[in-house]
Amino acid sequence: MPENNDQDIRIGVFICHCGSNIAGYLDMEALSDYAQTLPNVTFVQRNLYSCSEGGINEIKKGVEEQDLNRVVVASCTPRTHEPLFRSSCEEAGLNPYLFEMVNIRDQCSWVHMREKEDGTAKAKDLIRMGVAKAALLEPQESITSDVCARALVIGGGLAGMTASTALARRGYEVVLVEKEENLGGMLRRLHKLGPTMTDASDLMEEKIQEIVQHAKITVFTQSRVTAVQGFIGKFEADIETQSGVKKIDIGVILMATGGRAFVPEGLYGYDGQRVITQLEMEKLLNNGLDSDIKNVVMIQCVGSRNQERPYCSRICCQIAVKNAILTKDQIPDASVSILYRDMQMYGVENEEMFRDSKAKGVRYIHYDPARPPQTESDQVRVYHSLLGREMALPTDLVVLSTPLVAPEDAGITSQILRVPVDENGFFLEGHVKLKPLDFATDGIFLCGSARFPANIREVIAQGLGAASRASIPMSKGSVVVEPIISVLADEDACRGCGLCVALCPYGALEIRHTEKGRKVHVIDVACKGCGVCAATCYQHALTINSYTDQQLQAQIDAFLIDDI
Amino acid sequence: MLDVGRHPNIALLAYSEVEKVDGQAGDFKVTVRRKRRYVDEDKCTGCGACAEKCPTMVPDAFNEGLGSRSAIYSYFAQGIPSTHTIDPDFCRQLNGKKCGICKKVCQADAINFDQEDRIMDLSVGAIIIAVGYDVFDPSQIPEYRYREIQNVVTAIEFERLLSASGPTEGHLDRPSDRAVEAEIAGFEKNLKKSKRTLEKLEKKHDEASAQFYDKYQQGQYQDDEDRKKWADRYAAYLTVTKSLNDLKNKAESFSVAKRLAFIQCVGSRDFRFYPFCSGYCCMHSIKEAIIAHEHEPETTSTIFGMDIRAVSKGFEEYKIRGGNHSNITYVRGRVAEITEGPGDNPVVIYEDTQKRLVESQEFDMVILATACAPTKGIVELTKVFGVELDEYNFIRTSPFSPVDTTIPGIFVCGCAESPMDVPESVAQASSAAERAAEIAIPLKSEKEKAVA
Amino acid sequence: MAGVSRLQYTPEIKTVRIMCTGRIDPAMVARAFQKGLDGLMVVGCYFGDCHYISGNVQAKAKIDMTRKLFKYIGVNEERLAFRQCSSGEASVFVKLVTEFDEKIRDLGPLGGDGDRVKAPEIFGKLKAAEAVLAGEKIRWVMGKRTPFLETGNMYGEIFTEHEFNRAIDMIIVEEIEVQEILAKLKEGARSVKDLAGDLAIPSERIFRYITALKRKGMVALDNVTDRSPIFQLVPQEV
Repeated sequence: MPENNDQDIRIGVFICHCGSNIAGYLDMEALSDYAQTLPNVTFVQRNLYSCSEGGINEIKKGVEEQDLNRVVVASCTPRTHEPLFRSSCEEAGLNPYLFEMVNIRDQCSWVHMREKEDGTAKAKDLIRMGVAKAALLEPQESITSDVCARALVIGGGLAGMTASTALARRGYEVVLVEKEENLGGMLRRLHKLGPTMTDASDLMEEKIQEIVQHAKITVFTQSRVTAVQGFIGKFEADIETQSGVKKIDIGVILMATGGRAFVPEGLYGYDGQRVITQLEMEKLLNNGLDSDIKNVVMIQCVGSRNQERPYCSRICCQIAVKNAILTKDQIPDASVSILYRDMQMYGVENEEMFRDSKAKGVRYIHYDPARPPQTESDQVRVYHSLLGREMALPTDLVVLSTPLVAPEDAGITSQILRVPVDENGFFLEGHVKLKPLDFATDGIFLCGSARFPANIREVIAQGLGAASRASIPMSKGSVVVEPIISVLADEDACRGCGLCVALCPYGALEIRHTEKGRKVHVIDVACKGCGVCAATCYQHALTINSYTDQQLQAQIDAFLIDDI
Repeated sequence: MLDVGRHPNIALLAYSEVEKVDGQAGDFKVTVRRKRRYVDEDKCTGCGACAEKCPTMVPDAFNEGLGSRSAIYSYFAQGIPSTHTIDPDFCRQLNGKKCGICKKVCQADAINFDQEDRIMDLSVGAIIIAVGYDVFDPSQIPEYRYREIQNVVTAIEFERLLSASGPTEGHLDRPSDRAVEAEIAGFEKNLKKSKRTLEKLEKKHDEASAQFYDKYQQGQYQDDEDRKKWADRYAAYLTVTKSLNDLKNKAESFSVAKRLAFIQCVGSRDFRFYPFCSGYCCMHSIKEAIIAHEHEPETTSTIFGMDIRAVSKGFEEYKIRGGNHSNITYVRGRVAEITEGPGDNPVVIYEDTQKRLVESQEFDMVILATACAPTKGIVELTKVFGVELDEYNFIRTSPFSPVDTTIPGIFVCGCAESPMDVPESVAQASSAAERAAEIAIPLKSEKEKAVA
Repeated sequence: MAGVSRLQYTPEIKTVRIMCTGRIDPAMVARAFQKGLDGLMVVGCYFGDCHYISGNVQAKAKIDMTRKLFKYIGVNEERLAFRQCSSGEASVFVKLVTEFDEKIRDLGPLGGDGDRVKAPEIFGKLKAAEAVLAGEKIRWVMGKRTPFLETGNMYGEIFTEHEFNRAIDMIIVEEIEVQEILAKLKEGARSVKDLAGDLAIPSERIFRYITALKRKGMVALDNVTDRSPIFQLVPQEV
């Protein structure tokens, strides 16, 4: 503990009764008497409710009249009340980060209701620890950084187009980058869309028109994003276009790079002629099926739900059912059988389509992956597990339902944007349940099959949703970050080894070349203050504001002083 | 939740209902009834002192009636807002009895027994409906005997039993066993009382009850009214003691449920009720089975389903992991009937379609994966908004505009639209926010928006 | 949540708030024990549920390593625990706290019956431990743990958890021994043979360490007595 500036530190301790929630179980007088004796404490007051208007005014009055330069409130949980007390300090002219909260309710009175003495002793310990830390607190300023109101959307398929138009409708500029010659992505290769059996080309044309006509959207086709620097609000992207590399400033990035249909080379006699994929079937259906096709067999889970690709690709069953219905529509007397493991017709619309297909006479035969179907030149043999015997189905056409897999360049994209992919190569969102459209890195979002295979409805919903998420920082115009973040406290100590950079879960650290050589730089708006870097740095060059080694040690030391 | 409560741009009107909607996209007038809580929202600090002292206990709706709460309550411990509410059906003061304890203990002076409903008028640009769904009531399916067989529970009830903050703190105590334990507690309370009465009588007559009772049975004191009452009391005491001992003997063999059966598509994919697939129940059952196994490694689970639909990111892998590491067996087939076997054990009768055999198997507990039913009152509510429902009473949308209802400016997200799981609901909520923002947030001037 | 649910637990437990268990610095842990702490339980989120993505994974690795080191220097490693529960699981938290409290009560005060090395010697050991944990070598290797296990070292060799742990075991032994040599030399110049006798470490190893320390400029030859070189500490700039 630095003793030199003790003279200057004036700590006010406010102890809350919380009605009887604290006062009913702890000896409040003993607490305030005790707080008076602590080093640097110049003022102690008890309040019935510190969080009430009266209580807040008392804190402000204390700061002003008692010339306090640190405030400790011993009350309830910072989870709910820290923001209130911080802003009260600020209103009284005290830097809000010179405030420390001690939880003597949730950690003392409520959990030691039958042990008044011990509970009080613990509250004293906690107050002593809080005061010790408070003495070392430093003022902090929140960090504000402007956000450029332009979005980069990578991928011009349905997800990217939906997100682009949504952002443009909100008045934001959009740069849409597509690697192919035309917009449309997978839609371009589809026939009709389930469950409404709308023409894919209609939806695609409608979306493309909206994009082309919108003044706010700039489209680069046959282009790629080759480099991205910066952080939320201030990214800079290199886009390799037909007419050379363009450097563009953007505030946010949306990933909508979609997926790619797996090509089942070497599986079930795939030849692209008589044994084809569902994607190839779309083309046949679009051109009109040959009328002498009388027997169609579809096989599900080809190349998925196996050792190599353990995931279920979610949408292949819907596609198969849809294409089976369309086949029956074109050739009503054709026999269409679907060999499946589980029919993944989740939800309302899918199950409805599934029922319709049965009404139209599509046959469903369950197969056991341990005894997969065998394709022969004019028939498929399958062990019908419900009947318990092998059967042979004559075929004119075998259609294999293959999974959507990550695009070949997903790895490169992931490196350029410094965002993770999962074990199947799909992009990994910030939180599987709670942040499905965000990356852990602020300012980068994802939607559509780049995240995981999704049907039309889901892709559109995600496109809109990602646009919504991306619009938040742009609409605010700036990002404000709590200053409880990592700082390079000792620049000379830093050797620029990059150990911390590799461990930072937010990509908030980077190595920069400075006059003093390689040094780590904290991208303050990206840092969340988890502290992994500070706890790892062997040079002890990094620390966390308001949670420095000295502050935490002072807190621990204060606990270990046995003076009660 | 905390974010919603804290966000400066969100005014949270909990315990309120929309009564009327006028106007059009960009300019709606909405009438909201703020139901009386009998607690002043501005004063209540959510400290909970009132709930602690409230003498009236009622079944806890949050814990699916498996536990109890007081008549003044917050719906659950982490609820936002933390404002408490008095349940007018049970509160003694509001039902004309003398009480008012909560008012006395509330140091913030927030209790107001005379509070009335308030009507609020709001002007809004867009509306998002996110009223969710109800759990299908499986007692409509006679063959599953829900409510008849105690150890047949719904997935959401099971969720509460598994929860560390639930009524059993995460121990899988079976409902039948918990009922016996409650009965034991009741008897013990009863006995304590009658023991006191007997002691008084013993003192009065200066004789031990047992001795007296022997004599009484041999024919003494037949005309003594007072002693007759004593004898009756003692006889009752003996009966209760015997019952209590029997129950206690029975309770000795109780252990947590270790053999679990999960039955899928209860009310879903069923033409009698809801023909649709509820989507999330397969994964919910797998998750519950895995957690049960984590709590107690001897747990085995059997999941009976037609298809196991594990279709989202990581789900198939999770399902396989459950099979490999959490003693889960997946049986392909629909359960025909549940009967009650010995020891309150439910017996599941089903056809194993893979073995082509009708089988029956005894379990400690059966969990019904109930359908995602459109919420009660949705018909009335959507009339207020004028939006159309589909044939099942979910709010109608199109696959190409997945959050737009039939009325411009009114959007929907989550299970009010159709059954979906958490990540999908979260994604859809963002979609609805986007569509609403397009209408509700007026575009700033081109100059302001122009990129410097 | 334990508070909101009014679940009671022992008042012996005091909490230090950090934003994420990723902030846990092993050196700070050793320092706290050295100052008289009897037990430390780090309670983090479940894996995959970390609010800070992977802070808890780093914390677990650091605590596991510190436990190994504690065991090696004679501090009962049960005094240090890494546990997990979610913020909603009040009863789990209470159970963890209660069990840990009982464990520490059984062990008694630091350096008593519960530990292989007794007080006051144990505090010297912890001082060495703090220096090791604050030192470059072990921090660097721990910092490289995730890359080593996932993407491999600069030669692309991916380590298994087992291999990594074996390496850590070795480093712990070496680093502690080096700290002990430095501590001894602080008391005065000594020969390799003396050091070997004092510290019960084979003289070949002492010789190796001394050579390395000499190279780093941390020790230097003082004089030669009876044909054996005597080494002394070189004062380091702070």
